[in-house]
Amino acid sequence: MKNELRVFRARRGWSQADLAERLEVSRQSVNAIETGKFDPSLPLAFKLARLFETTIEELFSDEVQG
Amino acid sequence: MFGTPMNLAVRRYTNRFLIAMGFYCAFLVTAVWAFKHSHPAGPLAYLLAVLPSIPIVATIVIVGVYLAEEKDEFVRNLFIQAAVWGIGATLTVTSVWGFLELFVPVTHLDLYLVFPMFWFFVGISSGLLRLRYR
Repeated sequence: MKNELRVFRARRGWSQADLAERLEVSRQSVNAIETGKFDPSLPLAFKLARLFETTIEELFSDEVQG
Repeated sequence: MFGTPMNLAVRRYTNRFLIAMGFYCAFLVTAVWAFKHSHPAGPLAYLLAVLPSIPIVATIVIVGVYLAEEKDEFVRNLFIQAAVWGIGATLTVTSVWGFLELFVPVTHLDLYLVFPMFWFFVGISSGLLRLRYR
């Protein structure tokens, strides 16, 4: 799944570790989601969307990560 | 395990696992000592013989509790993947070895070695998965 996590994170000036801390997950989890190696569950996707004050559709699309 | 630094669930799992292994060592030494020195018989012999397996079985429960407590879904997913690879590799080795024992002269594989073999393969799988998701 393609995602804009890196872009949203950069806009806030957060590192992967910063985002991981806010999500209460490991930095590896954030990295795996960002690189498209792991698709988050719906609750985690909602949590991400709420954190970035956006929608899940803005963050994720069903295209395959390049 | 996978997350650094260790999260609470991993810390609890590690502590419980180490305690179970402590009991395993103590029970194993007790059983070996008892069979060597006091030659137990009857129900006591059976009880002593299965004693070391109790902490081993407990580790299955410990894994189940860990999976229920782990809040990081990615870390949980990695653990499950490693366990599935561990189960697959163990079933493969024991099945292949079982047929070898049936038809050709090979060393007998004691069943109590299956569990350490499983954890050995889980360890290898964890390492490989860690590299994949680095």
